[in-house]
Amino acid sequence: MNFELTDDQRDVQVLSRKILEDYCTNEQLRRFDQGERFDPILWQELATAGLLGISIDEQFGGMGFDFETLCLLVEEVGRCVAPVPVISSLVLGAVALQRFGNDDVKRSVLPDVASGKSLLIAAFSEADHAGAVPTTLKATRSGQRWQLQGEKHFVPFAKLAQHLLISAQADDGAALFMLPSDTEGLRMQQHTSTAGEHQYALSFNNVELDDNQCVLAGDKAAAALTEINNLGVAATCAQMLGICEVMLRTTASYTSEREQFGVKVATFQAVGQRAADSYIDVECFRLVTQKAIYAVEHESPRDALAACLIAKIWAGDAGHRVSHAAQHLHGGMGVDRDYPLWRYCLWAKQLELTLGNSAELTEQLGEETAAEFKQALHN
Amino acid sequence: MQIEFSAEQKALQQEIKRYLQQLFTPELTAELAAAGAEEGGGPEFRKALRQLGADGYISMSWPKELGGKEASAIDQYIFTEEIIRTGFPYPFLTTEACGPVMAEHASEEVRETVVKGILRGEVVVAIGYSEPGAGTDLAALTTRAEKEGDDWVINGQKIWTSLAEYSDYVWLAARTDPNAPKHKGITMFVVPTNAEGFSMSPIWTLGSVRTNATFYENIRLKDEWRVGEVNQGWKLITGQLNRERLSLVTHGQAEELYLRVARWAANTESANGKKIIDRGWVKYNLAKVRTGLEALKLVCWKQAWAMDKGTLQMADASVAKVYGTEFFLENYRMLMEIVGQASTLRRDEHTDALMGALEHRYRTGSILTFGGGTNEVQREIIAGAGLWMPRGRL
Repeated sequence: MNFELTDDQRDVQVLSRKILEDYCTNEQLRRFDQGERFDPILWQELATAGLLGISIDEQFGGMGFDFETLCLLVEEVGRCVAPVPVISSLVLGAVALQRFGNDDVKRSVLPDVASGKSLLIAAFSEADHAGAVPTTLKATRSGQRWQLQGEKHFVPFAKLAQHLLISAQADDGAALFMLPSDTEGLRMQQHTSTAGEHQYALSFNNVELDDNQCVLAGDKAAAALTEINNLGVAATCAQMLGICEVMLRTTASYTSEREQFGVKVATFQAVGQRAADSYIDVECFRLVTQKAIYAVEHESPRDALAACLIAKIWAGDAGHRVSHAAQHLHGGMGVDRDYPLWRYCLWAKQLELTLGNSAELTEQLGEETAAEFKQALHN
Repeated sequence: MQIEFSAEQKALQQEIKRYLQQLFTPELTAELAAAGAEEGGGPEFRKALRQLGADGYISMSWPKELGGKEASAIDQYIFTEEIIRTGFPYPFLTTEACGPVMAEHASEEVRETVVKGILRGEVVVAIGYSEPGAGTDLAALTTRAEKEGDDWVINGQKIWTSLAEYSDYVWLAARTDPNAPKHKGITMFVVPTNAEGFSMSPIWTLGSVRTNATFYENIRLKDEWRVGEVNQGWKLITGQLNRERLSLVTHGQAEELYLRVARWAANTESANGKKIIDRGWVKYNLAKVRTGLEALKLVCWKQAWAMDKGTLQMADASVAKVYGTEFFLENYRMLMEIVGQASTLRRDEHTDALMGALEHRYRTGSILTFGGGTNEVQREIIAGAGLWMPRGRL
């Protein structure tokens, strides 16, 4: 049992925090509140510090740390609501490619991702489906060619990406493809999310791909996609954790300064009790997140999936409660765009609904649980 | 990070599981199943407790110089959790809270009789803190201990003195300086329950568990039965609270009920021929329980780990207390929903043991949110010590 970071991990945490906190002032963030939420200068700074390649293998230009270390950067991005695509690029993109791509693909893409030269963005979500294995984007094979037909949704940064990593449903199971964002037959419809960022609906109309653009197919692909999805969920929890920590601490500081009826607002019991409930939520959520991050690397696929489902359910529940307690206890300041809290609250909502929400994941966990107990009876 | 037990810890857990299995003789099981004996005190309970003492489990976490094995807080947690799973009414307050404090601060005489008795599993101690006028505001207690020559004379009343009906001693907080600020005039004593002037009357609770009002009328004690310095008792009371709070919310008991209900639901057919567990809302309840339980387990693990590191924060113990006790109530409710109306049948020889256990647990669970330091005060501690918010108006 050990809940401590290693010295290397602490260094990564301190370095990430320093760069992001210095850079992400309210004025700076304001420039990215609408549109593409991508700051190329900050991205390059992170690249220069080696942080984009934290968990990319050394032979492909990275630092070779584990996923847990990468999640420390993700948590810091959450703390600063920094306009950088850590999850869709570094986790769902680079980690996925590193684990399941062949050496040629890795050699051609990962060094440029680590250096910030090119952007790799994953597009997994579909219109009514947050799970790992896609259901509507069909991939049909004929000889050495593949044809893609269908849609992907809620994809941020798609217009900026050089490489898109796409999951699809093939005739014999799941499959994973990498393609340039200007591939013929691929159209992008722009939307603006609740947090203000541009997201795209991608439609694939008879998109033709070479066999070498297929990263993974066949009987191992479904398990791989589940693993990738778990990684994305665990990292999303880390980002939500950073957001919740700041919402909680900001609320404690603000109510400790703000006076009404001649006393600090924090001295009202109703205020202290509600803030304490948020503290309990954040502590529980932190622990299930750390467990999920640990489980995806060290535990069986079944245990890792359960740990990720539990963490994301907590992310949705705690994120929602902590966000609204923070807004409420701030009064009008919580919704004033000159005060930084509002940005955290919108991101909390966006992440709550990303990669599965609490209700649907509770249903999934229930299915998993029932299957486990029924299976145990037969053993 | 390594968020699971080490190989040694897993081995210890298995060893303790096996040990407890053989400790549970049919006689002990039968005794604890009888109404009124589930809180311990019967001959089989006493026998098992002596066995635990002889086999070194009671002294597991105690310092070496006090005769213990100095097991880590995590090892101790593993033991606590496993014994709670079995339903054995292990006297934690005696072994974890009073025992080590007495061993460190008491006179030779108390150490020889009471402390050694605790270690041998022969002595159970009840806690004499609360009074009719001193509950959450414990330091307002008025039970008096006055010096007469070399002796102390004790007068007053305690309430909620649980287990006093079979305890050998009461660990008593009494006021020795009525003029000092309220936290600074309290001294600790060990009062034998066979002392002249000691009496009690039972209080029957909603959960069918007996507790007691205890009365102290001119009880005369030698100075050797005082523990710690005069007027310094508050520190002895609060020193063990973290361990005490953690042992209140170990996840084992709740998890055991979850496992039993889930197995029952997987194995039981409803009228339409499907298993109970195939119902959507049953799966949903099981998932909700599992989600909450996982957090409780991790909160407890992290605390035990932090105790070993010496980094336990004041707010952490309060988080465990509030979250754990409130989760228990939700947990019992959701599990009872799965089992349905059968879970409202009290346990007896005609009732399925699982249903009876649920009915009993929910009915005894409500005391935990206010017992052991009421949850509102715990939240005050969290706001102050965890979030640095200025203290609220009391």
